[in-house]
Amino acid sequence: MIHNAQLIKQGAEAKVYLAPFCQRQAIIKERFTKAYRHPTLDKKLTSRRVVQARIDTPTVYMVDTENYLIYMEYIEGCSVREFLVTPEGQTETAQTKVAQEIGRALGLMHNIDVVHGDLTTSNLLMRKETDGSVVLIDFGLSYVSQLVEDKAVDLYVLERAFSSTHPNTEVMFEQILKAYGESGKASKLILKKLEDVRMRGRKRSMLG
Amino acid sequence: MESFPIDSLPTAGDIHMACFTAVKNAPDLKEKLQNQDKSLTFAIVESTLIMDVFQLLLAATKAAHDNETGKLATQTISSEIIYNLSPSKNIAESLKRFGISEDTTSLIAVKIGGNPDEIMEEMSRTVDGILVSFSKLDQDKDMVKLRQYYKIDPKVTEDKEILNWIISAIAMKNVQ
Repeated sequence: MIHNAQLIKQGAEAKVYLAPFCQRQAIIKERFTKAYRHPTLDKKLTSRRVVQARIDTPTVYMVDTENYLIYMEYIEGCSVREFLVTPEGQTETAQTKVAQEIGRALGLMHNIDVVHGDLTTSNLLMRKETDGSVVLIDFGLSYVSQLVEDKAVDLYVLERAFSSTHPNTEVMFEQILKAYGESGKASKLILKKLEDVRMRGRKRSMLG
Repeated sequence: MESFPIDSLPTAGDIHMACFTAVKNAPDLKEKLQNQDKSLTFAIVESTLIMDVFQLLLAATKAAHDNETGKLATQTISSEIIYNLSPSKNIAESLKRFGISEDTTSLIAVKIGGNPDEIMEEMSRTVDGILVSFSKLDQDKDMVKLRQYYKIDPKVTEDKEILNWIISAIAMKNVQ
C-alpha cells in the first residue's frame, strides 16, 4: 500500500516499514485504527518535550492522521536486545557502557515527565553513527505524568524485560539504575518506589 | 532545476526546485506572492531560511498531502509550501517570513507536479536572476532569523540538531 515500502516489523499494534521519504530513508509506522487513546494529542506533547529536552529519539517527519501513518527518522544501528546476544555485547565493558547510556537516557526522559509505557530492550536502539549512543524509540504508549509511581513502573517493566529475555544481566540492570539515579531530579525517590513496585508487581492494588 | 519524487504520494507528481541568485525583481515577485496572485504558478522561498533541502522537501510533501485530502490552509498548493515552512499558524506572517522580501536576492522556486521543461521555462521567465545549483544552499544561511522564527533553544548549537529542531517544528505543526 505504501509506495516502495519494505515491511520490517509486524506487531499487534502497528506495522513498521522502511521506505524512501524526501531523499532519505524513513521509518513509517502504521497504527491500526483501534487506537484506544487520542493518537496525536499525546504525540505532540511528547514530541515537543522530547525535542526540547534534547533526548535522543527518532525525529518525526510527518504525521498522516488520515491514514494513521507516522513518518520518522530511520536510525542505523541495532537494538540493545540484538546487541546483548553478540559476542561484544556479552562483555562486561560493553555492557557497562550501554547501561550508563540507558540509565542516563531514562533519567532525562523522566525528568521531563515523559513515561515511555513500553520499555523493552527492543525499544532501545544503539545509534551506529555516534558509536552506540542510546536512542529511545516507540513512544506509542507513552504519556505525560509527574507521578513517581508511573516512572517506577516504567523502570519495573524494563527490569522484567531484561530478566525475561537476557539471562545474567542483573549486574547490568543495577548499573542502569545507578546511572539513572545520578541523572534524574527525583530519581532517588523513584528508585525507592521501584522497590515497592517489585514487591507487588506492576498493577496497583485495587484495595486502594 | 532539480526534481524529486514524492514517495509518500507518487500521484501528486514530482517536487521541482530551482535556486536563483542575483535576483532583480524581488519587489514584483513579493507583491504577487502576498496577494496570492494566480499568475504566480509556483512557490517562492527565501533561500537564506533553508538549512537543508530536506526542510523544503518536507514542507512541499506536506502541502501535496494536504492538497490531496482537501485540507489546504491557504489558497493554493504553492502558498501552502511556504506556509508549511513556518511553525506559526498565522498565514500572513508565515508568507511574509518564509516568502521573499523586497530586498531578497537569492530565492528558491518550488512547484509540485507538471512537466519539468515547462516549469523550468516558466520559472526562468518569471524570476529575473541567475539559476544556480543547490550547493548554493550551504552558504548564506540567516541563523539569527532561523533561531527566531523556529524558537530554537540557545543550547542547541550543532547544525544537525538545529535541522532536527526545524524538521520537528514543521512535522508537528498540523498535529492538534
